[in-house]
Amino acid sequence: MLIKLTGGTVYDPAHGINGKVMDIYVRDGRIVERPRDEERIDQEYNLAGKVVMAGAIDMHTHIGGGKVNIARTMLPEDHRGDPVAHSDLCKAGCGHAAPSTLTTGYRYAEMGYTAGFEPAVLPMNARQAHLEMGDTPIIDKGGYVMLGSDDLLLRMMTAKKDQNAINDYVAWTINASQAMGVKVVNPGGISAFKFNQRWQDLDENNPFYQVTPRDVLQTLSRAVYELGVPHPLHIHGNNLGVPGNMDTTLNTMAGVDGYPIHLTHIQFHSYGTEGDRKFSSGAAQIAEAINKNKHVSADVGQILFGQTVTASGDNMSQFRNAGHAHPNKWVCMDIECDAGCGVVPFKYKDQNFVNALQWAIGLEIFLLVDDPWRIFLTTDHPNGAPFTSYPHLIKLLMDKTFRNDVFSRLNPDSQAMSTLASIDREYSLYEIAIMTRAGAAKLVGLHDRGHLGVGAGADITVYTDNPDREKMFAKPDYVFKDGELVVKDGQVVKVTWGGTHAVKPDFDRGIEKEISKYFNDFHTIKMDHMKVTDEHISEDGRGYVIEQECKGRREKTA
Amino acid sequence: MSALTFKLKLQTAQRIDVSPLTPDFLAGNSATDIAATELQCGNQRLRADAVFDISGDDSSNIVFDGANGKLDFIGSKMQSGNITVNGDAGAYLAFQMKKGSVTVNGNAGAYAASGLAGGTLHIHGNVGDFLASAIPGDKKGMKGGLVIVTGNAGDRVGDQMRRGIVLIEGNAGAYCASRMLAGTIGVMGSVGEYVGYGMRRGTLLLFSKPALHSTLQDCGTHTLPFLSLMFKSFRNLPTKFATINKNRVQRFGGDLANDGKGEILVFQ
Repeated sequence: MLIKLTGGTVYDPAHGINGKVMDIYVRDGRIVERPRDEERIDQEYNLAGKVVMAGAIDMHTHIGGGKVNIARTMLPEDHRGDPVAHSDLCKAGCGHAAPSTLTTGYRYAEMGYTAGFEPAVLPMNARQAHLEMGDTPIIDKGGYVMLGSDDLLLRMMTAKKDQNAINDYVAWTINASQAMGVKVVNPGGISAFKFNQRWQDLDENNPFYQVTPRDVLQTLSRAVYELGVPHPLHIHGNNLGVPGNMDTTLNTMAGVDGYPIHLTHIQFHSYGTEGDRKFSSGAAQIAEAINKNKHVSADVGQILFGQTVTASGDNMSQFRNAGHAHPNKWVCMDIECDAGCGVVPFKYKDQNFVNALQWAIGLEIFLLVDDPWRIFLTTDHPNGAPFTSYPHLIKLLMDKTFRNDVFSRLNPDSQAMSTLASIDREYSLYEIAIMTRAGAAKLVGLHDRGHLGVGAGADITVYTDNPDREKMFAKPDYVFKDGELVVKDGQVVKVTWGGTHAVKPDFDRGIEKEISKYFNDFHTIKMDHMKVTDEHISEDGRGYVIEQECKGRREKTA
Repeated sequence: MSALTFKLKLQTAQRIDVSPLTPDFLAGNSATDIAATELQCGNQRLRADAVFDISGDDSSNIVFDGANGKLDFIGSKMQSGNITVNGDAGAYLAFQMKKGSVTVNGNAGAYAASGLAGGTLHIHGNVGDFLASAIPGDKKGMKGGLVIVTGNAGDRVGDQMRRGIVLIEGNAGAYCASRMLAGTIGVMGSVGEYVGYGMRRGTLLLFSKPALHSTLQDCGTHTLPFLSLMFKSFRNLPTKFATINKNRVQRFGGDLANDGKGEILVFQ
């Protein structure tokens, strides 16, 4: 099957193509060279005047795993309030903030997204996360496995084990849970919470293990780098949401000895303590630090106004926020001594000083970070807002007048505390394509996604150029997933099942002896039962594992 | 102008969600628009004129004629106007209604007045289980307004009810006022077992002493002046409660297993 996409205006930042009119050929799910003239074109799409980009990639979105299910269970009103009827193709579903798996897949595809990465896969919950992601149609999936507050790692660190042994354990965990990378949430703090600590700074000891968050960050960022995992350590830092936490964030950037790191939902970590209410924007300092520190990348975690639910592994901060729950119900719990979880429904209000300033801080970071290859478009779905608000967010970034218009209607005190109105920058289509495609693919480590070069998977989104960017990005004309037309005019026309991206770093099998003993002594299941194999993901006949390349192990870099 | 009347003509196997047929939703709609309103019935969507013979033009006064107990969500989220049901109403009658009045000349199904926040619901007949209760997953049942039932009510009257008044002239079933948070329920007839189970606050008025479980405690006999004031406020209501003028009660407190600030007042 040979498909020709004729005459579209192509934005492919991975190859430096910025709005060039060109043809793209797709054969059997891959982008190919221009075929010989005598070859028959099976299908041709005339894309004259249309905008063509690779399929978008959401590099941080909570779409699977235990906490999403807790959010679904806890919020029947979220489901009752947003029912989706079945169609001839699609199954019924529901949910605004925490949609069902099927609805999640359809909605992502209908917005031109072809991949989403679940950032908080607990090793013990990996099977559940993969089952949910496996039930999410059309898009590709993947996850970052959560380490840093797990008992075994902290024990190894307390015992001052050699970095190589820790690397083996991290690699084993990535393999066993079929992950694309490693995430650390409130490093060591989830564990400290269980020892009654309610605050933890970067250099504050965990009272039981005598390990500081800084130790955890250094150990894990080094481990990820030495294992050659392409996605840098994915960090949800300490003190989320606390006024003044920008110092913690700046120290985190400086404290990892130059190892590459990715700071996630950085908006929630960029607060100062100035002003009458002791809450101010730290966006300028944070953006400056990102601009300066080339080993750091970040996604924003923009908030947008309305009802949503915050679902996080960070039980410490979720417990602090529980008083703000709207509607008034919440969950904080331990999960198998591996980690924790907190689910707090939340309503962001535009007339609330703090919420309005959070909104402005997020946008300030977007606009003040110079390099779109190192800043990413997320709302930390569903924590800042549901992913369905991305087109609105893109419009805020691309349209200064619209942005200032919305800003002028927010809480007046918060307007006085923000420099947003004085920032003239507007994102270009090219920069949006970097943030949501090429940059995201590079950051996650997807070699054949996020670009339109020969050999890439044919995940392609076609938009009609519209000065109203919200309308443009909400409803693509065509979306191709692996060369198949899955969405036409913003409606699903074919339901396919994407794969699961994973990396498989090498490790010394000898480590299994220690891990197995640990499972036998402390866990509820045997080590071998915890492992998620390729067959487990593919056995229902829909899913499959796409192994992405690791860079090979590096020795003793410190 | 005559009342906008929906006379049921289609007998369906499945239940019909008539939540769009409220004065607010239909205000300003032409007869053609009203006829084309889509109603969910099982897994199908039916036009209103396929289900009902529609006559009249005053959408602030809506009448359902020949109702058969399968019409769910009558008066759902209503904010103004009147609805009269001749025949039996289905489940979720006056669901989350805020203002206006609904009168049923017949019986009503389960979850009547669930989430009711204001306005009046008058049922001239019996009502099913979970009157004024929270639907599963919600934390509060009825939140305000007035409900009058001339017949009997089913089980779990006022489960997690938060505010408002429910007056039942007949009997109520088991678990009356269970997990009640606040508000007032009056039952003239008998109540079933486990009355006030998990009752947290709120007032239940009874006219004969029920069987009580052990975490409801006798607090003695009292003359409570507030009862005179309350019954005075009922004087103009179309219910037998309007004629009562008593304030001497035996008071039971509970449920002590759940905060225990609720009271069951039994008239002497």
